[in-house]
Amino acid sequence: MVNMMSDVKTELKYVPTTCPYCGVGCGLNLVVQNGKCVGVEPNKRTPINEGKLCPKGASCWEFVHNPDRLTKPLIKKDGKFVEASWDEALDLIVKKFSEIYKAGGPKALGFQTSCRTVNEDCYALQKWARVGFLTNNVDNCARICHGPSVAGLSLSFGSGAATNPFEDVLNSDLIVMWGSNAVEAHPLAGRRVMQAKKKGIKIIVVDPRYSATARLADQYIRFNPSTHIALANNIMYYIVKEGLENKEFIQKRTKGFDDLKKTIEKYADATNIHGVPQETVQDFARQYAKAKNAVIIYCLGITELTTGTDNVRSMGNLALITGNVGREGTGVNPLRGQNNVQGACDMGAYPNVYSGYQKCEVPENRAKMEKAWFLKEGSLPDWYGVTLTEQINQAGDPIKAMYFMGLNPVVSYPDSNHVKRQLDKLDFCVMQDIFWTESCEYADVVLPGTCFAEKDGTFTSGERRVNRVRKAVDGPGEAKLDWEIIALLAKKMGLKGFDWKTAKDVWDDMRACTPSMFGCTYEKMEKPESVHWPCPTIEHPGTPILHREKFSAADGLGTMFGLEYRPPAEVADKEYPFTMMTGRLIFHYHTRTQTDRCSILHYDVPESYVQMNTQDAQELGVKHGDKVKITSRRGETVTTARVTDDVAPKVMYMTMHFANGVNNLTNTALDPLSKMPELKHCAVKVEKVA
Amino acid sequence: MSKKGDMLYAWTNDAEIQKKAELGGAVTTLWKYALESKMVDAVLVVTKGADLYDAVPVVITDPKELPKTAGSLHCGTLLMAKLVKKYLNGAQDKKIGVTVKGCDAMAFYELAKRKQINLDNVIMIGVNCGGSVSPVLARKMIKEKFGVDPEKVHKEEIDKGQFIIEYEGGHKGISVDELEEAGFGRRSNCRRCKMKVPRQADLACGNWGVIGPRAGKATFVEVCSEKGANLLDGAVKKGLLATEAANPKGLEIRAKVENAMFKLADKWRKHDFTALGDGKDRLRKIMSETARCIKCYQCIDQCPICYCVDCTTRNPAYVPPGELPVNFMFHLIRYAHIADSCVNCGQCEEICPAEIPNALFMHAQQVELEKMFGHTPGVNMDLPLLALVEEKAERARLNATGSDMIYENVFNPMPNR
Repeated sequence: MVNMMSDVKTELKYVPTTCPYCGVGCGLNLVVQNGKCVGVEPNKRTPINEGKLCPKGASCWEFVHNPDRLTKPLIKKDGKFVEASWDEALDLIVKKFSEIYKAGGPKALGFQTSCRTVNEDCYALQKWARVGFLTNNVDNCARICHGPSVAGLSLSFGSGAATNPFEDVLNSDLIVMWGSNAVEAHPLAGRRVMQAKKKGIKIIVVDPRYSATARLADQYIRFNPSTHIALANNIMYYIVKEGLENKEFIQKRTKGFDDLKKTIEKYADATNIHGVPQETVQDFARQYAKAKNAVIIYCLGITELTTGTDNVRSMGNLALITGNVGREGTGVNPLRGQNNVQGACDMGAYPNVYSGYQKCEVPENRAKMEKAWFLKEGSLPDWYGVTLTEQINQAGDPIKAMYFMGLNPVVSYPDSNHVKRQLDKLDFCVMQDIFWTESCEYADVVLPGTCFAEKDGTFTSGERRVNRVRKAVDGPGEAKLDWEIIALLAKKMGLKGFDWKTAKDVWDDMRACTPSMFGCTYEKMEKPESVHWPCPTIEHPGTPILHREKFSAADGLGTMFGLEYRPPAEVADKEYPFTMMTGRLIFHYHTRTQTDRCSILHYDVPESYVQMNTQDAQELGVKHGDKVKITSRRGETVTTARVTDDVAPKVMYMTMHFANGVNNLTNTALDPLSKMPELKHCAVKVEKVA
Repeated sequence: MSKKGDMLYAWTNDAEIQKKAELGGAVTTLWKYALESKMVDAVLVVTKGADLYDAVPVVITDPKELPKTAGSLHCGTLLMAKLVKKYLNGAQDKKIGVTVKGCDAMAFYELAKRKQINLDNVIMIGVNCGGSVSPVLARKMIKEKFGVDPEKVHKEEIDKGQFIIEYEGGHKGISVDELEEAGFGRRSNCRRCKMKVPRQADLACGNWGVIGPRAGKATFVEVCSEKGANLLDGAVKKGLLATEAANPKGLEIRAKVENAMFKLADKWRKHDFTALGDGKDRLRKIMSETARCIKCYQCIDQCPICYCVDCTTRNPAYVPPGELPVNFMFHLIRYAHIADSCVNCGQCEEICPAEIPNALFMHAQQVELEKMFGHTPGVNMDLPLLALVEEKAERARLNATGSDMIYENVFNPMPNR
């Protein structure tokens, strides 16, 4: 904490707001003195975390006034970035985007928004893209974390969101955590699991890696990386074989069981694929099927693969076949990664839907939005826009200009070298951010936005709770509110419908055209409990648990799918004999633009490392702490070895937070349904650095 | 003129305060006087945030703003002393008045011993505290045990062993014992607490012992220091506050209430400490619970004993950085540095994201150390067992030996190795 010098302080202002990091959406108090954030104090009144915080949340005030903050618009002139006025920068953007649009049409542009910024910013960006350039080429970085959850859960349950709130695990009899290291990636959701453990609720962790979460488990099941479908099918084989399926539930509330049954018959013994002994699989099947209420919590271990959507649907299959959906203590809950990954999708920053998942392909929806947005009848496109990493692939042809709001693709997208090559091909690129990132080098214009402490707005957490973000301090220098920047651009283009004065105006604009969120008013959010969408009317109390009486699909049924196991796009071979997995670390968030500027987080983990198995290390002659070079078909990185049995032989693990790190290695191969790149599985070779 | 040891009933003459305040409004009135007379530059008190379950600290310099801070919030589990250290420069350059519970008062003394707060610049008005309830649990308790919508409650209090709520359409009380048996009620550290009347403050106020015609209309005030006497006399002289000698029968009742609280605390201590086991069993329990630690550092940040800029938990030789599970040394360092002075304020436990009963572990050790060495933390300026050092000077001294490793320097002092 800062030690105040002799200048007299008699102000102590608490601003209750929402943590800017993960999708749990913890409440906290920013402490403000003389117009500056000076600390974080617990907000014990919030039901989400009751004042408890993880190391990131507790230190989140520290980056706010960092001297590295962007304070002025920058324009690249003759290869060098020079400071510019807002007018100059915005005029240039309008000119370039308009020219490129005129020449190349709506498919020549790409728009991407961060899941780290408030709903209001996300809504503004997609509205500008759609109204100004009649394009659906707008996406957000949920694509590379929970895109498969949106796709998969929509197919299984009719809604792509988590079914039950975090705290609801305390009503469960069995908690299955599959590909989720919640203790590190969603610490205060992890706390709910810790509470459950204290209550005596059984916890099974299914993960290729013995993680901090696995240490909590009553039972830890290690399986081979990326073999989820084989394992799930194998489990369901036993459930059906032993007649443990929930026949009444299957009959009344689902369809597709026969299709599933046919497929799982082929998985009587899949140990050769997933590596789990059959008796363990059988035992798991019995435990899960026989539990009165069982919940599955999953995360990116499930999604960040070319089989992501099918992996998610496999979790849906498990829940449906046993009737574990639609009541307390059950459900299938993706732990949404970023603070607003739920919200960015909800806002329609997505290439095929408007806010509230209203499909662009439906003519009535287009007609409604055209009316709401003052557009000519029939002007909005019906086509599926280009997704996040596909926009990168299309950079240069046909996409000529891109707009990034709060993203650092050079570090966070797969195959960094590819991303850099592609960005170089753009005619025009805008980066709107709070810090200078590795990606800003590739921009023509860099615009200074504002961080969570400097704006009003909302983040929607992984439990669909819309949490208020409250302005504590002013932004640095000439930095502007992010939605305001978008509104200024729109107004310079002469567009109607961007005359917002406050964040609430933007939110109300969204509410007016979004039935599922119409009742989520700022007034309701004044209460720390806030409100969970769907909330269709002002009187509606919100919906903490989905699919109670019927599923959200049009026919009201849950759908089971027969899904075959498919290996990852690139598997270990003679030349690249190791499997590289990726993940997150409790001490950092994403590309560390914020967390590395918090002293304690930087102290704890200043640089990247790789976890490798003891046996592998021995064979490679690598000792704990040695430098190693890791190479894939796409690039290389040098890092420090942590030798451990937490990973199996021939399997390695790196976190995704570091520039020139693991994303130099990762694979861009896509899940065909959700366009998720295979961030969690690629083949590498390793050598000790002398 | 009042003096240390005086026992009085006091009530406000201020119409504005009368409207908002409870039980005579003496505390709010005393702060009004303290601000108006410039006896203090600011007061640090608690006000309602989102609702009556949300206690928010606020610094007030304009006496007109005081009435909004009147009344008590039993869901307020703040620790005021650490806020003064962190955000008000330890009262080094300003005179600050603070309303304190027992744990706050104890924390002020411990931070003062460590030169983190200048007690000469602090006036403390103590308030009796039977314990506080964490806000979210309180709401759950009201919903589940009282069967009342917590939104409808407009007043809560703890009186005569009951937690009482007033709500639209009625009031209801349930015995604290019954609530606590069911896992609700006061924080576990509060249950074990025996600092019910904070006499180390300058004035100790409350409603225990106010009987007769003044019952519910006056505040009981015990004068605990000369500073307190001056504050009280000033307010009376200004006509802001009226007083009379406390009813002798009231004194007895007050002592009875306090004693009953002590007995209850003893019961909980026995209950909690016995469950911890002894010797290796206790160690095993502590090790297994602390193994869940996610290194948020908040137990340190919120602790009223911790003050070091270079915390030893951030010395890589002791605790390897960036690792989960956190090395047990992290917690051993905390026990070694704090246990003799732990005031059982409960913050480290309440804010722990890993549900580690930190306060219980620390308090259990403090009680043992007190038995062994006779040092009671938080009641006066007596120094604890471990000699206090000026952190910077001590680090410099150690550094000069060529290493800042305390262990090596104590057991293997080899200058300039």
